[in-house]
Amino acid sequence: MLEVKGIDVSYGHARVVHDLNLRLDRGEMVFIVGRNGAGKTTLLKTVAGLLRPVKGTITFQDKEIHGLPAEKLARRGFRFVAQEKKVFSSLTVRSNIELAAHGAGEDLDTALKKATSIYPDLSRFMDKKAGGLSGGQREILLIGRALIGEPKILLIDEPTEGLAVIVIEDIFRILREMKEKVSAVIVEQNLSVVSRLADRIYIMKEGKIIKEFANKAEIADITELERYL
Amino acid sequence: MRSTTRHMPLPAGSITKSLVSRDLAFVAAGFVALAIVMKMHWAIDFMIFCIFVLSYDLLYGYMGHLSFGHMLYFGAGAYGSAIWLAHVNANPFLAIMAGLFAGALLSSFLGLIALQTHGASFALINMAFNEIGFFLIHSALSDYTYGEDGLSCTAGKLFGFINFYNERHSFIFVLVLLLLVFWLLRTLTVSPFGVLVRSIKEDENRVKFLGYNTMTYKWITFVSASILAALAGGMFTMIQGFVSPITISPFGNVDVIFAVLIGGAGNLYGALIGGVAFMLIKNFLPVLIPELEKLVPFQVPQWEMWLGIVLLVTVFALRKGLVGFVRQKWQHRRQVGVVS
Repeated sequence: MLEVKGIDVSYGHARVVHDLNLRLDRGEMVFIVGRNGAGKTTLLKTVAGLLRPVKGTITFQDKEIHGLPAEKLARRGFRFVAQEKKVFSSLTVRSNIELAAHGAGEDLDTALKKATSIYPDLSRFMDKKAGGLSGGQREILLIGRALIGEPKILLIDEPTEGLAVIVIEDIFRILREMKEKVSAVIVEQNLSVVSRLADRIYIMKEGKIIKEFANKAEIADITELERYL
Repeated sequence: MRSTTRHMPLPAGSITKSLVSRDLAFVAAGFVALAIVMKMHWAIDFMIFCIFVLSYDLLYGYMGHLSFGHMLYFGAGAYGSAIWLAHVNANPFLAIMAGLFAGALLSSFLGLIALQTHGASFALINMAFNEIGFFLIHSALSDYTYGEDGLSCTAGKLFGFINFYNERHSFIFVLVLLLLVFWLLRTLTVSPFGVLVRSIKEDENRVKFLGYNTMTYKWITFVSASILAALAGGMFTMIQGFVSPITISPFGNVDVIFAVLIGGAGNLYGALIGGVAFMLIKNFLPVLIPELEKLVPFQVPQWEMWLGIVLLVTVFALRKGLVGFVRQKWQHRRQVGVVS
């Protein structure tokens, strides 16, 4: 479904991602794990259309998409949930959802249902300014918003970072329920979450994939995963 | 925008007709009071400057694009109108239209280039365009603009009865225009379009991730803000009957940026209050300071120094400008009231 082949990504002269290959099949949940500075976010931003690879190709459903701007990728079903948990803080939760619904060409009722289906409590905050939500609520709103329209690929950057354990469990539950309904590439450091959800894991180090885990038993073995971090 | 997305309106802020009417009445009353307290022609100058500040607030306050070149469009409006009056005919309606057309044409083209950049680059590329405009008016096109000497022009009566050389006529006409601009921006900024523009200010990339072509929205906003600036420039020509290169000087950008910051960016009342506050400092302090110096045994700093102090206070103590400060205090009071 999504194939990244031999891409290099640079910030000026600094090469951050080297000759990277990655594959995502339909209905798969692929995790990228690695230390800070490994190039995980850069990779996700490149797939989302924010950065352009200097070398290599990215194909989606057999069509080359590298170099396409973010808005065009969004229209093809790509949804990017960035690390900073930034919502449109001056707008209400409802307006945040409406904005996404309009961008995706979906009617509001369906959009609201989709966004709240993952976390019914979200409906309690509809008329609250999104800037007043907690970090966890923001992440849930962002994931809910990403489900609006017809998402084909979710790109989620560190969904549990900086969240309380109880909220991480909520996020874990949401991701588990999404599994097999959508395809996703998720950057995540929490190995407990990763090992329970992943269909495939890529370990990144210094801009390269140094190890791929596709075997269920290997994926479930956190100690083995930790060896590469 | 894609046709498939048209079936559902974008989220809009809440605004009612009565709220808008109340705002308009409030603004009108404020400027009438100003005209009574001060000389009427000063109030007219204040209102023209406020239209310019409102236009800048749309670009900077609402869309978050700081520009050091907005004077180009004020100047385009002023010179467009003046050249029409001086070289074509004295019809004021057509002259104002010529000014608006000049602003629209320039901004439509330059906006496409400038909006490819962000942040400091956007601010500076606009300044570069402004410098080029200044050079053209000052030197290259001096056969038409009379360069440094400036261009005198006389407008006939608008619609056969509005005489721009009658203070009352001018005051009422400019006030009506200011109210129209205020109403337009009040409606626009809470409209679905305005919500999107404000979202671009918050985070353009995230708006793109939702599938919007932000360039289109930014371009429309840039051109709209420029046309409003050209309107202010055109009115300046009508009222003054004279334009010189100072009306397109890049230094003028400092005035409008100061005004927006003092009042509070991203707030229409802030733009008006900032515009009036700036004009008061600029027009009255140079008169008051020599009088004050007669009373004290030391030299009083010049008005620019006081303006600098006001800006420092704004930047350090009133981060959201005067209006933001008052609003914050008001909300705090209400919260305290609720708790107690």
